[in-house]
Amino acid sequence: MKTVFPTALALATLTGSPALAHYGMIIPDDAMVSQEDGRSVGLTLSFSHPFERDGMVLEEPVSFTVTHEGETTDLLGDLNSAEVMGQPGYTLDYPLARPGTYVFAMEPQPYWEPAEDSYITHYTKTYVSAFGDDEGWDTELGLRTEIVPLSKPFGLWEGNVFQGMVMLEGEAVPYAEVEVEYYNEDGDAEVPSDLMITQTIKADANGVFTYATPTDGWWGFGALNTAPETLDYEGEEKEIELGAVIWVHFEEWDD
Amino acid sequence: MRRLFATLAVVALATAAHAHQLNVFAFVQDDEVIVETKFSSGKIPVSGEVRVLDGAGQVLSTLSLETDGTVRFPLDPNIASEGLTIEVSTGDGHDDYWILTPSDIANGSGS
Repeated sequence: MKTVFPTALALATLTGSPALAHYGMIIPDDAMVSQEDGRSVGLTLSFSHPFERDGMVLEEPVSFTVTHEGETTDLLGDLNSAEVMGQPGYTLDYPLARPGTYVFAMEPQPYWEPAEDSYITHYTKTYVSAFGDDEGWDTELGLRTEIVPLSKPFGLWEGNVFQGMVMLEGEAVPYAEVEVEYYNEDGDAEVPSDLMITQTIKADANGVFTYATPTDGWWGFGALNTAPETLDYEGEEKEIELGAVIWVHFEEWDD
Repeated sequence: MRRLFATLAVVALATAAHAHQLNVFAFVQDDEVIVETKFSSGKIPVSGEVRVLDGAGQVLSTLSLETDGTVRFPLDPNIASEGLTIEVSTGDGHDDYWILTPSDIANGSGS
């Protein structure tokens, strides 16, 4: 993280005015694991506001899986409870047996958000390359909603664009709204305006969106739609926000 | 463990130029070392030279890739106690290596 924006994040936080974006998060400790790095990858799962590093409770997910070479494995029972950004989350050290792309995906329980008077379910995933092999980088998992990467979701330089296609119930979503947010892991990044904590873009008519990152680190892309069904909350039917979230790491350009 | 990887890598890196074009992976199964190779395009090399080095960088044997991009050889646990480095060259600067650490070998032996 090289860029520090001159800003007023502290003031914004005090006023309580920013519209904080929720993100399901799966953050690996390495997006491209080489053989010299070892034989496993560490994963941290949370439900958070990634720029503000403000955690929320992540209940035990409905599912947590890894997909590699076309095979999906249930990892829910392997998760370890952990505190992430001050709230309950999970960690896992996952052994990488073979080269290729490992896609980790989480379906959380619906999260009741009183401020939005709705539930939130963010189908969250991230891609990890093992041992120099990127085969499977464009894997579509068939989640209820997901962002299918059109750019390889690792091995990107800071400043590169990331392209993805927003899918909902197996169909591309024309003009889908996509929120983009930086995981401000060390807290150094600041913003000149609340509007820049979460940037919002739209997909094109084919559901394809494009975003160029200004700096290295983990970036979350969340495509938001509303489920056709509702869920009960204290006797009232409430909407469910369906989020398709992908976390992508951009590498520092060091010349 | 990372220090061990780094130490073993010093031996291999000297001959691992252009490593991005060829990927080598090796594992131990049923007391046999199985080497798999693949170009980054996904294609499988149909020929190539495989050198097996011990933990000190001594060449133990030189083998040829099979047409399916693999090669197998029996594991000698006495020689492999400090790990093995598998170097593969398919020509035209397409080289890569895989380091079988003692832990890799222990995990795979007898499986």
